[in-house]
Amino acid sequence: MLGFIKKDLLLIKGNLKSLIFVILIYFLLMATGDFDISFIPPFLSTMIMLSTFSYDNYNNFDAYGITLPNGRRNMVLAKYLSTIILVIITTLLTYLASILISCFKGDAIDYLYLLNSMMMIIVATTFVIIFMYPIVFKFGIEKARIAIFVIVFGIAILGSILLPYLDLTNIINFLDNYGLVILPIFVIGFSLLSYFLSLKFYLKKEF
Amino acid sequence: MKNVIEIKNLKKSYKDNFELGPINLNIPSGLIIGLIGENGAGKTTLLKSILNVVKINEGSIKIFNKDFKKEENIIKEEIGVVLDNTFFPELLSPNDINIIMKGIYKNFDSNLFFKYLKDFNLNSKTIIKEMSKGMRKKLEIITALSHHPKLLILDEPTSGLDPVVRDEILELFQTFINDEEHSIIFSTHITSDLEKIADKIIFIDNGKVLLEDECQEILNNYGILKCSLEEFDKIDKDDIISYKKNKYNCEILINNRSKLKKKYKDFIVDKVTLEELMVLMIKGVKEC
Repeated sequence: MLGFIKKDLLLIKGNLKSLIFVILIYFLLMATGDFDISFIPPFLSTMIMLSTFSYDNYNNFDAYGITLPNGRRNMVLAKYLSTIILVIITTLLTYLASILISCFKGDAIDYLYLLNSMMMIIVATTFVIIFMYPIVFKFGIEKARIAIFVIVFGIAILGSILLPYLDLTNIINFLDNYGLVILPIFVIGFSLLSYFLSLKFYLKKEF
Repeated sequence: MKNVIEIKNLKKSYKDNFELGPINLNIPSGLIIGLIGENGAGKTTLLKSILNVVKINEGSIKIFNKDFKKEENIIKEEIGVVLDNTFFPELLSPNDINIIMKGIYKNFDSNLFFKYLKDFNLNSKTIIKEMSKGMRKKLEIITALSHHPKLLILDEPTSGLDPVVRDEILELFQTFINDEEHSIIFSTHITSDLEKIADKIIFIDNGKVLLEDECQEILNNYGILKCSLEEFDKIDKDDIISYKKNKYNCEILINNRSKLKKKYKDFIVDKVTLEELMVLMIKGVKEC
């Protein structure tokens, strides 16, 4: 399985430059003002990992990967793990940059706030993966792009219609108090569900 | 002789009405098996069915005397695969392939991999995108060989390659097969490659096995009887497998060549090539 993770990470080697560039921009914006765009590098890394599906598709790698020992299962698991590894690394780098800048500017650092904030970003990014990957494994990357667009657009419209009628104060308070404990459990649970769903789809696929 | 692959009653059908099988095959170990047939005959489907890249509808497959369904992963550790389309991600280099394969095969031998790279003049740092088709194919074949497999399953491994590279690759296959435990099954349209190295031929047409025999037996026993259009009626219909009428003459595919050569002394009876055999069996007229 390690081989498949390495394959995905080696494939995005070329994209790392742009990821570092984004982190540098973030660094610059943080240093010159109070912009908080710390969610961008982890989200970008998810998008970059999504491109490995396109590479696999373009290079006919899936058919070959299946011929390798435990190919189907390992390819699915590797996609999840390599994405999570990259998201965690980029989140850590982003926040390390944030701490360094605060030190440089002489600002007080609220570590609990940073930890909370990091956790929320990792959770949010992981939910993107949880949602997207089963669709990609079911329909293939090309069709999945359209499906994801339609679903995200639908949720956005539905959200904007319903949001004014919803009272989220209780939920926000609850997350403020228990988020650090509850969210990881949710993330792990939904990640497993998403993984098994993707696996179920991929085990049936033919190339 | 032990069987490396045993296929019983394998069936695979697609929505477009193509149906492979039922296929029953016993492939002995220590041999090079050539799989021939026209495009769409079912060669790739058969190889992909063996490898579980496509799901079979019926039947059972045993490889190394192990049930493929139950012990797929153990079996795959000992199989090297080359598929018909190039499949390594173009952005990677042979160095990257080595890193990846070490994490996939328990027995991946980096020293052997780099030795093959050197033998075949492949630069370990060149990205695959910059390689020619021949270089990519060489890389795929040496990767398939570098975890010390017992069985190579190759789909069109020599297609699109120049004769020099093809010759190098065929030599590599022959070296691999020197070990009696090793076997190769490969499909190809370049039947002359099979005439050089194959021990056994499996001829597939329209999803069914049309012919399965030792390569030399086929080349010795089958023949082409050539006669003029007027002379065609002098040939005993029972001796004709199939025939093709050209503008001025007629080519008749026969079996038992040496016997019929004596019977039809006034006619030319040539040895058949696998290509001629294929064309006459598929395109030739079978009913007289």
